[in-house]
Amino acid sequence: MKSKRQQSDLIIVGAGPAGLAAAAAAAENGLSVTIIDEFPEPGGRMLGQFHEERGHWWVGKRIADELIEKNRAQGVLIRCGVSVYGMLKVDDMWEVSTSHGTMLAPRVLLATGAAEIPMPANGWTLPGVMSIGAAQVMTNVHYVKPGKRGIIVGVNVLAMAIARELSVSGVSLASIVLPPSGPFAGKAALPKENLQLLMSLSHLAPSPILRFGGKIANALGLAGIVSSLFPRSGIKLWDIPLKLRTKVVSINGTDRVESVTLADVNGQGEIIAGSEREEAVDFVALAGGLYPLAELASIAGCPFIYTPELGGHLPLHSERMKTPVEGLYVAGNITGVESALVAMAQGQLAATSICSDAGIFGHNGESKVAAAIEEVHRVRASALIQFHPGIPEARRKIYRMWQETFGAGV
Amino acid sequence: MKPSSLIICRCEEVTIEQLEQAYQTGSCTSRQLKMKTRASMGACQGRVCRQLLEAWVHDKKPDSPRDAELLSYRPPIRPVTFGQLAKDES
Amino acid sequence: MERIQDHPILGRKTLREPISFIFNGKPMAGYRGEPIAAALLAAGVRTLRKHEESGNSRGLYCAIGHCMECRLSVKGKGIVRSCLTPLEDGMKVFEGQQLPNEITGRLLP
Repeated sequence: MKSKRQQSDLIIVGAGPAGLAAAAAAAENGLSVTIIDEFPEPGGRMLGQFHEERGHWWVGKRIADELIEKNRAQGVLIRCGVSVYGMLKVDDMWEVSTSHGTMLAPRVLLATGAAEIPMPANGWTLPGVMSIGAAQVMTNVHYVKPGKRGIIVGVNVLAMAIARELSVSGVSLASIVLPPSGPFAGKAALPKENLQLLMSLSHLAPSPILRFGGKIANALGLAGIVSSLFPRSGIKLWDIPLKLRTKVVSINGTDRVESVTLADVNGQGEIIAGSEREEAVDFVALAGGLYPLAELASIAGCPFIYTPELGGHLPLHSERMKTPVEGLYVAGNITGVESALVAMAQGQLAATSICSDAGIFGHNGESKVAAAIEEVHRVRASALIQFHPGIPEARRKIYRMWQETFGAGV
Repeated sequence: MKPSSLIICRCEEVTIEQLEQAYQTGSCTSRQLKMKTRASMGACQGRVCRQLLEAWVHDKKPDSPRDAELLSYRPPIRPVTFGQLAKDES
Repeated sequence: MERIQDHPILGRKTLREPISFIFNGKPMAGYRGEPIAAALLAAGVRTLRKHEESGNSRGLYCAIGHCMECRLSVKGKGIVRSCLTPLEDGMKVFEGQQLPNEITGRLLP
């Protein structure tokens, strides 16, 4: 007996901000939509995200709940706990292979988000060492603290945002320290570069960084500042000591994390001899940043481009979220690492683009797509969390490249 | 601790030292190193370490251009049982 | 590890049903539907698996199904990613095990 293959107008892979926003918009315009996600509940990484914004808390879970409600009302089928392991175009139909059977649709939107870049350190395979995203998910989604007392290795946007969440949630953190130097950390192991990054994040941080910023403004050079002005004991960021003059040397323990070995560094990131000491912790959160998770785009035959500002290797796509592969669209962090709000606007845009290509808007398609593109620009410009300063320019480059290759309007 | 004993690929427990040895004997690209050492060929299919492998290769030759795509992906990209496969085909 | 009952920003979870399950022969408590990995973390279990080749202890790493580090075996289901697999009442869960290697001739201790 042939098993019944479920067919929709649109399959969306990923029930995060981009996927949910796209599904609601596409269904509102009459498409039958199925969203697939392997996590047990919809919402993506929004489920564990919250931050303080102009005096109130932005809570990702609330935004996710609203979007899920909208989708349910529009009759969108949300299939959670279902893994997509392949996809293949047969005639004009995508066959999406999942752990729960094959699903069919003429159009597929990939909204698979991002994955974490590891920040390896000696001992990082010990139980109790986890990616910082894992600490976030355990704490804010599953309500289990990752340990009794931990340390964060790596100073970047993701690390700072999640450090704040963890501390608000009552997770005890010894400090945030620099990663070991080497090809993996690159500039992330250098105090000066990290200070520069923190300055660009000062709008997120409370007063210590801002106060510190004043000193830097009339400084002699950041490296000098780090070694002379930046206190060795770190500065308190919220209630977590941020130590830009300390790096992790190794993670220690037998069968589980028992401690980390730390050392002080000079302005150039070199270890000061004799400064090594051990600190007792039972978990370590490694923060190396994010990269677009685009495996499905790759096996669907989509070409890639390398754009460091957006997190590295990403599927080539037009400003209207189309890939060169017929019937394949992308939205959200798979197109480059940005905030949830940008991802939602991109989802909206992808849905508009898909509906327009399906002929739903008649002659109004182009103007609707143009308006959705405008909205993405507006949201990006006002985003509080900028993962990289060069994002708008990097995006312009990709879309120029697309136009040169495929011509305008595609 | 010497940095050479640092594990880069968790699934296959490949160390920097092994990458270095493979590099010295002519495996110079991410793909060649993957074939030689099994780095990024384990259960996670390189989802965790392919970035590291590429960063390591890039660090060896900082001036060489980056590939547009990062190693290859092949289906199935998520674990699937023979039972699940059979059910779908029956 | 400590469970958060009332999250300062996100509030309480909707009422969950406490259930029991078995890990490596030991009875444990958890909530129906939470990932196996979350229940084990709450119970203080760090090692979910021994590396198939080296036998080194491994635990939760990414928590969202990307890294495969948390795979262990569940009676009736086979090997699963414990970070994505919902806990059921009476589930029998076993640590992932080191395997013999016929190519190198390495036998299990």
